[in-house]
Amino acid sequence: MEKTVIAVGDSTKLEIIFSTRQYKKTVKKSPRIKTNEGGPEKRVRISTTMTARPDSTYPVINTPYKVDMSQFTEKKVTRKKLEITNVSDEDLEISLVAWAEDYFDVKMPKSVRAGKTVEAEIVIHEDVIDKTFEKSLTFELSDEKHSRFTIPVKRTVRNVRAAGTRAAGGGGK
Amino acid sequence: MNKATKAAILAVATLLIVGSSVAAPRLLIKEESFDFGYAPQNSKVSHVFWLYSIGDDTLKILSVKPG
Repeated sequence: MEKTVIAVGDSTKLEIIFSTRQYKKTVKKSPRIKTNEGGPEKRVRISTTMTARPDSTYPVINTPYKVDMSQFTEKKVTRKKLEITNVSDEDLEISLVAWAEDYFDVKMPKSVRAGKTVEAEIVIHEDVIDKTFEKSLTFELSDEKHSRFTIPVKRTVRNVRAAGTRAAGGGGK
Repeated sequence: MNKATKAAILAVATLLIVGSSVAAPRLLIKEESFDFGYAPQNSKVSHVFWLYSIGDDTLKILSVKPG
């Protein structure tokens, strides 16, 4: 949480991080928020359906199903591609629902035709290039169930100095 | 209207005015739930909820406990 004292008319972010571990099927959690408002605590609710075999999901298969953007050498890692393969027999629209806006942008195609593969791209912001983080992005499909998929995006930086130098230099020739 | 009645009315009016002007914090969470859909095991997923202070006094977040 950015701040715990919020002036009248102001707002703050509350980030809920959920570790999927070895959970099976659908898991629901309701973190409780206690304030000086009085009355009962307020809750936010999250739900996740774990996929034991993320390489064989339906109606799409995401490759990779979790994105590792770690950087251990001077070679700059700022963008990664993600393939979305439509394994159903209907064309699907894709809507990006949520992502860690402070850390990366997502270039997401608007649709994927039946049996076809499209590419999405994750691009890390220059100002977090030397940071280690674990975030995610969520997209929704236009199938009957409005299926949602969340792709974890992880970055570990061990060679921070090199990453920072590269970022400052623009990384180009 | 005698003095006692006037005093009583004045007292009640004062209480009502004071009572209605006590500043109170208020929390608004526009999006209260989020569905991640399918997610792989052994990984971390995250979502940001926005908390708004819409009362007329400063809002303090005292604690956030996992549910």
